[in-house]
Amino acid sequence: MNGTIQAPTIEYALLAPMLVVFGAAIVGVLVEAFAPRYLRSAIHVPLTLLSLAGAFALTIWQAAAKGIPTKAAAMGAVAVDGPALFIWGTILVLAFVSVLLIKGEDHFVAAASAVPGSAEEEQALHEGAAHSEIYPLVLFAVGGMLLFPAANDLLVAFVALEVMSLPLYLLCGLARRRRLLSQEAAVKYFLLGAFSSAFFLYGTALLYGYAGSIDLAKISTAVGSVGGQDTLLYIGAAMLGVGLLFKIGAAPFQAWKPDVYQGAPTPITALMASGTLVAAFGALVRVFWVGLGGLDWDWRPVLYGVAILTMVVGAVLAITQTDIKRMLAYSSIAHGGFLLVGVIATGKAAAQNASALSGILFYLVAYGFTTVGAFAVVTMVRDAGGEAWHLSRWAGLGKRSPLLAGIFAFFLLAFAGIPLTSGFFGKYAVFQAAVSGGALPLVIVGVVASAVAAFFYVRVIVLMFFSDPAADGPSIVLPSRGTAAVVGLAVLATVVLGVYPQPVLDLAHSAAQSLFVR
Amino acid sequence: MTLQAPGFWPPTGPEIVFLLLGVVALGSALLVVTTRQLVHAALWLVVCFGALAGGYLVLTAEFVAWVQVLIYVGAVVVLLLFGIMLTRAPIGRSADLDSGNRWAAALVALATAAVLVTVVVSGFRTAYAPLDPGQGAAKPLGSSIFRTWVLPFEALSVLLLAALVGAIVLSRTDIQGRK
Repeated sequence: MNGTIQAPTIEYALLAPMLVVFGAAIVGVLVEAFAPRYLRSAIHVPLTLLSLAGAFALTIWQAAAKGIPTKAAAMGAVAVDGPALFIWGTILVLAFVSVLLIKGEDHFVAAASAVPGSAEEEQALHEGAAHSEIYPLVLFAVGGMLLFPAANDLLVAFVALEVMSLPLYLLCGLARRRRLLSQEAAVKYFLLGAFSSAFFLYGTALLYGYAGSIDLAKISTAVGSVGGQDTLLYIGAAMLGVGLLFKIGAAPFQAWKPDVYQGAPTPITALMASGTLVAAFGALVRVFWVGLGGLDWDWRPVLYGVAILTMVVGAVLAITQTDIKRMLAYSSIAHGGFLLVGVIATGKAAAQNASALSGILFYLVAYGFTTVGAFAVVTMVRDAGGEAWHLSRWAGLGKRSPLLAGIFAFFLLAFAGIPLTSGFFGKYAVFQAAVSGGALPLVIVGVVASAVAAFFYVRVIVLMFFSDPAADGPSIVLPSRGTAAVVGLAVLATVVLGVYPQPVLDLAHSAAQSLFVR
Repeated sequence: MTLQAPGFWPPTGPEIVFLLLGVVALGSALLVVTTRQLVHAALWLVVCFGALAGGYLVLTAEFVAWVQVLIYVGAVVVLLLFGIMLTRAPIGRSADLDSGNRWAAALVALATAAVLVTVVVSGFRTAYAPLDPGQGAAKPLGSSIFRTWVLPFEALSVLLLAALVGAIVLSRTDIQGRK
């Protein structure tokens, strides 16, 4: 018949990890609708964990048994290539760990619609109400995180960006304690995020006007062949860059990060600091290397400046913080700057690009685990009113609870990049790629920024071990099995990646070897 | 985009209609922000969106035009009017609709418009695309949505679902305890 539409070809096996996560999220919504209230958490937790584990297994199976595909899937919309599979694996493990943290203690508000401090809120707390919708929302966000770094054209990237961000905006506003701060964080994140999405979309439109396509590969071809419309190209690329740099929290678009990390429930902060950062970096590298690869002489100086600014702003402002979560947020900004050093380290030779990419991938794994672990420790140090957020409350923790303080100190040393921790090899891999790519001045700035950052990490360690504990100091809650497992896993990852990083380096290297499909 | 563009003079019928619609859209958009009555602003918005829809029609994007009418002229404006009605906002002339920042806002708007116009003019000054009737009909759009763009399309429905769940989480007040 004339009017029929040919069915699209969808490689379901390739997309299986993503589809499993989305499918589990939708099942979660159905559970929310039909299961009795007392059963919901009991169904959600295994469902969420199993789907993430299953998706991880499918990713491994894809990479190990079926090889790395050389062609974009789903009508060219999604590129499941080596780096994408590596990033998927990383995000899935980090999300699994974050979900363990979410289920750990009661971090979430009893009734989000109740006005903070009102009688309704009291009543909801008293009745033990809970929002079990958190689990499907987390799965939606994780699904978006999987789609974002694999998006092979700008429209898919935009949709993925929204799928990833929207649940996170909501989840930020659901902290149980310090409700007003949490709501403020959610609104701030939403408004600024919507603004940056608009930038991304407008950049997409302008690049479409330039190249006649939003496919990254076609834009890349057009950069070399279309002439006379450079204004469209430059402004489009700049707007796209604003949207992407906002998501990774690079200066000067970093202002949301401390506020949001501080206000969000700590397990959600852990998810954002690890999963979102990994996904956004994957997408950033893909857009800049694949789509705008021919333009690298133009974007490299800009990113050069952004990387320097981000490292300096993150490291210097972190010194002035008194809130532990804000401090970790600034540290996350500084780490974003270190990662940008790797993005700039491209070169003519494919080997140079592969080594830069594998450095970025390794850094993302190392940083992701350490940051989840650090936030897990933050959830365990409690005051009467919730987490002991003020740094002065952490004084003398080493005398009250040497093990916990020791673990936290170890994570901080890993952030600082001390040898024998994962952070050292991460920084080493990225900086080495940058040096061989000819960005020596940038590496010098990076090392100086690391030294400045090390100052405030060590300051916290000194505070924990060499000052006297306050009489009414915070208590250490006995961690639930989930939280304990998260901390244990993070310590293990930080040690193993710091002492014997070779297997993961090799894995990152072989994932990066084939570079991105086009 | 390398086709030989016909000259601008004499203007063809569609070009004249397009220009007139553009003038209507611009004028009504100005009225939206300058009128002192909230309901009038919403109604001028109808005119503005309608003129845009007309512009799409002239460019043979008929499906987009009808979607514009349905979603923006229909749903969005009705939503605005309902919002005004349900929140008991003042319906008559109100003096406090002008913000003290209006000059700064006007400046920002003008600067943004200047940037966009410059970019589009410098990008498409010489571009010429012939208008083939039927290009923007439902059929070609539908086949590209359900073929090339099927995955992002499905992801968008997931996004809507997540937004709905979130709205329920944030607004429902009758959530009971575990008992």
